[in-house]
Amino acid sequence: MNAPEKLKKPPRSASELTCIVRVNEEIKSIVATAFRINLMALNAIFLAKRAGNAALGFGVLSNELRRFAQDLTHHMASLRDMTSGSVGSVTGVVQQQRNSAILLQAIRLSGDGVPGVREARKRGAQRLAEQHGRLRALDLRLRAAVEETQQLVELGGVLARSAKIEAAYGGGFSPALMQVSTDFAEVIAQIKRSLEVLGKERLVKD
Amino acid sequence: MKQAHCIYQNDDHRWLAIARDASKPGYLIDTNEYLVMDGEQALLCDPGGIEIFPAVFSALSAECDPTKLAGIFASHQDPDIISSLALWLEFKPDLKCYTSWLWQSFLPHFGGSESTFVPIPDPGMTIRLGSLELQAIPAHYLHSSGNHHLYDPKAKILFSGDVGAALLPPDQGGLYVEDFSRHIRHAEGFHKRWMGSDRAKRDWCERVSRLEIDMMVPQHGAIYQGPDVQRFINWFAALEVGVLRG
Repeated sequence: MNAPEKLKKPPRSASELTCIVRVNEEIKSIVATAFRINLMALNAIFLAKRAGNAALGFGVLSNELRRFAQDLTHHMASLRDMTSGSVGSVTGVVQQQRNSAILLQAIRLSGDGVPGVREARKRGAQRLAEQHGRLRALDLRLRAAVEETQQLVELGGVLARSAKIEAAYGGGFSPALMQVSTDFAEVIAQIKRSLEVLGKERLVKD
Repeated sequence: MKQAHCIYQNDDHRWLAIARDASKPGYLIDTNEYLVMDGEQALLCDPGGIEIFPAVFSALSAECDPTKLAGIFASHQDPDIISSLALWLEFKPDLKCYTSWLWQSFLPHFGGSESTFVPIPDPGMTIRLGSLELQAIPAHYLHSSGNHHLYDPKAKILFSGDVGAALLPPDQGGLYVEDFSRHIRHAEGFHKRWMGSDRAKRDWCERVSRLEIDMMVPQHGAIYQGPDVQRFINWFAALEVGVLRG
């Protein structure tokens, strides 16, 4: 008896597991970038202090950027918790699909009229629907959390642009402050791109 | 495709051997599954692995109503014994699985919940099936550290798990042992390597020698009948086990 034909093709949920892996990798990359912003903001605060009165506004913005980096890290931690939870749900779907496929093959081999098979298939379909429902709910929560994080990052972008303007008033420190604010803008753009990728990922394919 | 062969019948007390799957892939070891039936209840001994579930289910369904399956007896924890558990539970969620207490928290990795498992204590226990009182007989370390065989005193059949197993060549696919001397050559290497304890082996030989056995039905290979049962016990008692080669 050969392995059930359906099992030779990776089930749809296998690609859902791959999707979770991609989401996790993207989250890790954003967390690393947030850590970088935190360090950059600390350096910017010191630089603004050295620049004195000319960079007071820049100093305030650097403090805000540091707070932004910390908020972003918290957001990403909760996103990571969500994806960890979804691994369990996706695995449940994979197992249920595999069991249902093998049971279906057994039923086909046995011919019509074997008692109990209709009930067994109904139970399997119900369990699968429940697991898909849980996964869908998780997907919605994940998307909502990504949207919330995108709004936070918009604020980060505004802070970076304002820092650039403030850098222009930095007197002798202006080129250094300009460089720091350009770096801020670049890493925030990078985070935006990562969040766009995250926003497109779907744990459940419709 | 596997088929169910009736090896014992007395009214509605039956033993079926589900054996010989010529269409299974060569990389899977061939297994025998046994169904004990009495009236409206059935118990499946060592139901086999995930890959062969469709073949076993279909062979079983051809001979009996699968909803009558009351339980599964797992001689030990190996994948070729019981990895199909989740699939049987998919069909019948209230199924009971009788297995050594040692595997009670290991087998749920294949499927089932706390209520699925009926732990068999080391000295064995009685398993009631319809009007039958089946005996779980200790066979620890033969080869698994928590291992039981199943004895039906009414049918005088001993399901002996891996003890008595033979890795038969394709041209010797008969259901019953026909020529003991020829057959046992295919069992020797298996028993030397898989059976790890000489003391456990001697204990088992003494224990089963006290039972009235007309048929000894292993999980791999052919069924021993009549005098071949005692021949096997004597052969096994004299065999050096727990050796890599030789």
